[in-house]
Amino acid sequence: MLALLLSAALAATPARLGPDALRARYAGIRALSADVVQVKEGRFWARPLESRIRLTYTPERITWETVAPVRSTVTIAGDRLVVADASGKTRELGALAGDPRVVALLGFIRALVAVDLEAIERDFTLRYGDGEVVATPRPGARLALFERIRLRFDAHDDLTGMELVTATERTRLSFRNVARTPPPPGAAPGASR
Amino acid sequence: MKRVTLAILVATALLSIVVARTLSLDDDPIRSLTDPDPAVAALFERFQERSPFRGRIFVETGALPSRDREALEARLAGAGYVEEPLFRAPPPQEVLALAPLLPADDLRALLGDDAVRRRADEAASVAGLPGGDGYLAALEADPAMLGPALLARLSGPRGGGGGAAPRVFRSPSPMDYERAGEVYDALVALGPAVHFIGGDFFAVENYRAVKRDMVLCSTLSLVLSLAVFFLFNGRWALVGLLLLGTAVSYLTGLLAIRAFYAQVFAVVLAYTSTFVGFNNESLVHLSGIEERDARRSLLGVWSAIGTTVIGFLVLLLGRSVMVRQMALASLGGTAGFLLFLVPYRRVLRAVRFRPVDWPKLTVSPGAVAAACGACAVGVAVLGVPRLDTRIEDFRFQTPALDAQVAHFSRALDALALENVVAVPVAGAPGAALADLAARGLVDASRHPLSLWRPPAAQEESLRVLREEWPGATARLVARLAGAGIRIAPPPRPPDDLRPIGEWELLDRLGALSPIRWADRAGGHRYLFVGLRPGVAPPAGAALLAMSPRHHYDALLTGLSRELGWLFLAGFAAMALYLGLLQRSLARVLYVFAPLFPSALAFAAYARVTGAPLSIVHVMGFSLVIALALDYTAVAVSTDHRPLELSKVLLTGLTTLATFGVLVLARHPVMRELGVTVAIGCGISLAFALFVRLPAADEGGA
Repeated sequence: MLALLLSAALAATPARLGPDALRARYAGIRALSADVVQVKEGRFWARPLESRIRLTYTPERITWETVAPVRSTVTIAGDRLVVADASGKTRELGALAGDPRVVALLGFIRALVAVDLEAIERDFTLRYGDGEVVATPRPGARLALFERIRLRFDAHDDLTGMELVTATERTRLSFRNVARTPPPPGAAPGASR
Repeated sequence: MKRVTLAILVATALLSIVVARTLSLDDDPIRSLTDPDPAVAALFERFQERSPFRGRIFVETGALPSRDREALEARLAGAGYVEEPLFRAPPPQEVLALAPLLPADDLRALLGDDAVRRRADEAASVAGLPGGDGYLAALEADPAMLGPALLARLSGPRGGGGGAAPRVFRSPSPMDYERAGEVYDALVALGPAVHFIGGDFFAVENYRAVKRDMVLCSTLSLVLSLAVFFLFNGRWALVGLLLLGTAVSYLTGLLAIRAFYAQVFAVVLAYTSTFVGFNNESLVHLSGIEERDARRSLLGVWSAIGTTVIGFLVLLLGRSVMVRQMALASLGGTAGFLLFLVPYRRVLRAVRFRPVDWPKLTVSPGAVAAACGACAVGVAVLGVPRLDTRIEDFRFQTPALDAQVAHFSRALDALALENVVAVPVAGAPGAALADLAARGLVDASRHPLSLWRPPAAQEESLRVLREEWPGATARLVARLAGAGIRIAPPPRPPDDLRPIGEWELLDRLGALSPIRWADRAGGHRYLFVGLRPGVAPPAGAALLAMSPRHHYDALLTGLSRELGWLFLAGFAAMALYLGLLQRSLARVLYVFAPLFPSALAFAAYARVTGAPLSIVHVMGFSLVIALALDYTAVAVSTDHRPLELSKVLLTGLTTLATFGVLVLARHPVMRELGVTVAIGCGISLAFALFVRLPAADEGGA
């Protein structure tokens, strides 16, 4: 299943991506939703964990709803992180909110999901290749826990996959049914900045 | 002469290169102040080393829409500001060492089934996010989450009752005023949705104010002085000499500062705009000296220059670096200008001033003495003005900054950190804190010592920890394993855990938090406490101010008093000097007479407004002596000859123009200096021009 999804995601003809085209495509999006398959493996995982996620994004809020294997929902709203378990009981992780590294991580997840290249570039150096953008942390960046991040796009510059590597973990995500709500007509690119 | 002028121009250009390359600018004259007691100075310095306010700015962005917040973050990052935690997450072993401070019931709850289940569920959810392994690593090191529990306890009752937590950004070093200014403007433009504070913003405002003052005051002062000068003299050659000589004196003044200091305060640089006034006096009084009256004229010149030099020399004895720099600049500038004039002796000799005459009031020395005595009685009746200098007297502040200061002062008040003092303690710090609380000075419940628990209670907590930890950790590991997560936390708490004492608690908290709570200096042990809002330490209490505002206010007031005594010493030295030079008590009295109505005017001002006099006013009085006494010294030395009075009028008007324009300055130091000198010089000029002693007493008979 996983291999099938990944190969489907990576099957589109890769194109050499340009920063301007990508920025123009993703600038100022008002909403995004996608079905995501995530595979995590590393020191803390007994075996590779595959989970199915329903992801919704607006500039104000990200909902990361794990559908399987265990249902749970994580909501990121500003600097707040709220976790809801399978029964729907919610709890805000207040102890994390004061730590700027956590705040930076939440902001980064927001930027990653929205493909906000400008925001990603604050902490990472971007290299544009055939159908992919590879981000490596700048020296002294707040998000140095990531060693490398790879974003993959199809021939239409639609996001198809991500790979995030830390010292103890590798995370691969593949995106399907991506729906974007572009900025209203006439809104200047980068208006979301 | 042309060759000499060319050589001076070349030398001036070379000097300006030397000055530009060797001197750097410092925007804050306050930072240079240190307590004369080395133990107190060391205590304050170490307290400030750990200060979260040094080298950082604080921004509250909680009320900003996410787009504005991200745009602001991008601007801050672009200007070199790096976000960092206010509280650094302590290493796990440090956290565990503090675990006995948690009550036994709290530990039972943290290690109970419900808490373990909730923790495992949260971990499984957060671990699913990109970067979630960081959370798992933290959980592995601290499986009972004692760190957050301790942090919550630390910031609980002392946390000030909520409010948005400010974000902390480390400032770039060295500071780039332009980029910091852009950040400041962006923050101000965001309005009340954002709150911010930090030394950088004061530095930006002061930098802008001083830059504007330097350009405006220097230009106006130069234009007005040259206009007055040309009107009286009509010779471009002298105007050129004043212009070139002022450039030379400006550079020699800065070189005099460089001989002792690598950094010059921006406000001192702005002060050098007044040099054209000093130079004008020297130039005018040394010009057009007629052969037959040369002895009397030179008596006036040396009386004037001598008092000026003495006035500045005594200022060098003070401890304020800013005042010393002003004195050094003035002495260097005066010396540079006098040396500059040497090659132009013939030009000066050939100058002719048009004599002017008008009726004068002739008063006997006895009447002058009576008037001075009446003024002294007036000052005594009104009350000698209080000397009190505050940090705000040295800073240009805007309503925008004032609003931010008020906002964060409230927050610090709530944290009981607005006015922190160091208290020498011989015994247990808890007893000292209880004593201060009993006297109404502190709220003991807001002090970290309130976290301390008696050894028996700590032993009970340790017992719970040792008993419950292994089971709780095993349950957590098992639940996470069910979700496919494996962590390997320590199966037992460390064996060396033990109850901790009061001083040890303060030392440990000081090492973890951005605020020091205990220290040693000069053989004493000190406890740091935050005074209740609005509480003033009782007189005679051995409480040392550690918060910058209170510490520097006390130091500045001490320096003001010291400068006041130096002023009086200089006054005595000048009287002695003039006595030897003039050899007439009546003439010496005449020279000093204008100071008495000036003192009365300031006493009346202080009485009416209720405002104290600051170190800036005392500095201004020294300048009044240095400048304004020249008028009476020259007038009385030359028997009020019309030619010399013409010179006095010319120099008086240019001095009033030079210091008068400082009233337009934004920086409070420059403005107060301008007002003080203008009032003193105005009174002295009027007295020298319209009041005289009988000819016999002036030595003209």
